[in-house]
Amino acid sequence: MAARVESLAARRKARHSAATATPPATRAVALRPVPALPPPAPPRRAGALRGLLRDAADELWKQFNPDIVSQINDEVAERLTRLPIQPNEYGYDAWGMNIDAVRRALVVTTLMYRYYFRVETFGMENIPDGPVLLISNHAGQIALDAAMIGTAMVLEREPPRIMRGMGEFFLPTIPFVNLLMSRIGSVVGTPKNCIDLLHNQEAVIAFPEGVRGMNKLFSERYKLQRFGTGFMRLALAAKCPIVPIAVVGSEEQAPAIANVTQLGRLLGLPAFPITLTFPLLGPLGLLPLPAKYRIHIGKPMHFEGDPDDEDAVIGRKVQRIVDTIQGMLDEGVSQRAGIFF
Amino acid sequence: MQKILITGIAGGQGQLVTRKLLQRDRGYQVIGIDRRPWENRPRGVGMTLTDVRKRKFEDIVRRERPDAIIHLAGVRHFKAHPAVRHEINVNGTARVLDFAIAHGVSQVVVLSSSYVYGALPENPYYMDESFPLNSSRTYPEMRDLAELDMLATAYLWRHPDITITVLRPVSVLGYHMHSTIGRYLKRERVPTVMGFNPMIQFIHEEDLTEAIVLAVERKARGAFNVVGSGAVPLHVAVREVGSQTMALPEPIVRPAIAQLFRWGLYPFPPRAIDFAKYQCTLDGSRFRAATGFAPRFSLAETFASVRG
Repeated sequence: MAARVESLAARRKARHSAATATPPATRAVALRPVPALPPPAPPRRAGALRGLLRDAADELWKQFNPDIVSQINDEVAERLTRLPIQPNEYGYDAWGMNIDAVRRALVVTTLMYRYYFRVETFGMENIPDGPVLLISNHAGQIALDAAMIGTAMVLEREPPRIMRGMGEFFLPTIPFVNLLMSRIGSVVGTPKNCIDLLHNQEAVIAFPEGVRGMNKLFSERYKLQRFGTGFMRLALAAKCPIVPIAVVGSEEQAPAIANVTQLGRLLGLPAFPITLTFPLLGPLGLLPLPAKYRIHIGKPMHFEGDPDDEDAVIGRKVQRIVDTIQGMLDEGVSQRAGIFF
Repeated sequence: MQKILITGIAGGQGQLVTRKLLQRDRGYQVIGIDRRPWENRPRGVGMTLTDVRKRKFEDIVRRERPDAIIHLAGVRHFKAHPAVRHEINVNGTARVLDFAIAHGVSQVVVLSSSYVYGALPENPYYMDESFPLNSSRTYPEMRDLAELDMLATAYLWRHPDITITVLRPVSVLGYHMHSTIGRYLKRERVPTVMGFNPMIQFIHEEDLTEAIVLAVERKARGAFNVVGSGAVPLHVAVREVGSQTMALPEPIVRPAIAQLFRWGLYPFPPRAIDFAKYQCTLDGSRFRAATGFAPRFSLAETFASVRG
């Protein structure tokens, strides 16, 4: 993929300099050594469909500015060299994370981060070094809020950190999805995985609203759904701080007007949301609206106590987190200029 | 002087353990039984051609009075009839344990496997020894291995006066061993499930040998996961041993393997392909703490040991 990005960038550059004079803005990029163009591809025999798809993908690629893509690629690659993690000699960490896969995913999410959701992040300095549990509100069917927080932690934090996600139990059974999930550093959300990651000094994110949050209706936006309590027990067991995070913007990206749970069950999904665009526009309707994201990161909160306390005791601790995040959400919503800008 | 009886002494693992015990230079006396002869065995190693199911085996335990039994005999391939497999693996192990208790053997090491935990989508990475043995839920052909393991663990609690060690090593690779995973990876085309590439832990045969000997020397009591130098995705392992993957969509690969297995053209039952879908990775810290075991062979050296 990296080679592909480079060769596409080179091709684009060649086209660019032949047709027009290089504008000054891109000169700094053009000065970098341009890799030699690959030899012309042999005529395609097998896989006509694959060839067609590849042409379509190339065309789509050219619509972006590949200079920006390769710039982002270089920037992300540089930041990833400063991670405090040690993959093994084959480039994988103990949970199947692959640093090249992380880089490729970050190129895509950084484009979204900067140009689609135009994310602003506040309080990144509140994420400490060492083991930490990040707790955030959750919305919008696809976990783009998680992707944006993870991207922010690489782009905006000094030194960068990888966010480790806790996935739903059905995700490992889906072909390719399970690969994406584990290669970018996420694991199934079992307590053992979470504790192991925290012992390994990682930053783990959890969305205690879970599926309840992802499927909340537009009328319930920025109202935290019931929080699970498992995360608090884990934080107590691992003796790690909890950092509350409020994501403003994600709850407008896919306004759900109804949720046909029965239909979802029929399809083997936890829910079946009806949004303004889905299923009206088919799969295209899953494209989120370009709401402006604002990620507010609160001060780390420390809790002490027995992780095996009864629910009422744990619940009071959880309520402090809920109140903090709800307060941050209310403040963030009231302060912003608008949903899309 | 300690007398050690090894069942399955002529197998790859048995030979390695014998050699390692003799190299220790602590005056171990090694004897063994196997169904196959071991022609050029080291001098001083006594061997009897018999089988854990035979009467002769009990006679040997009664006469020799070994201090420890390392029980490596067992059927791991699927060519045998399931009833024979069960008879040797489960009832054979029960006999070994019963004779050990009856004739004053102070320790029995039983070799189980990481596969007893099963490959399930909800598996956490790094399961510890308290994790339930789920393999029979999806892989009934391996039920005997889980039963063997649970039988030995049950004896562990029922007979506190004898040290029983159950070792659950991760996938073993090496020059001498013909392990299940080794036979799978060494195929010319390794069938895998498209869209899945689980992490697999490997241990070098020499490291497992060291672990077995350490278990005897440190009198480690209980069930232990034995883990090597780390884990890589299945496809990386296939590439590193010099083979090629053949990734097929699941609706094709399952019936194809089922048919080929029935005709005897493919050595693993169809349910085994779950191990090419979901990870079954273990936490080895308990064994490290109990014995001070540390693998000496890196992943690269482990793969190199089976590369053709």
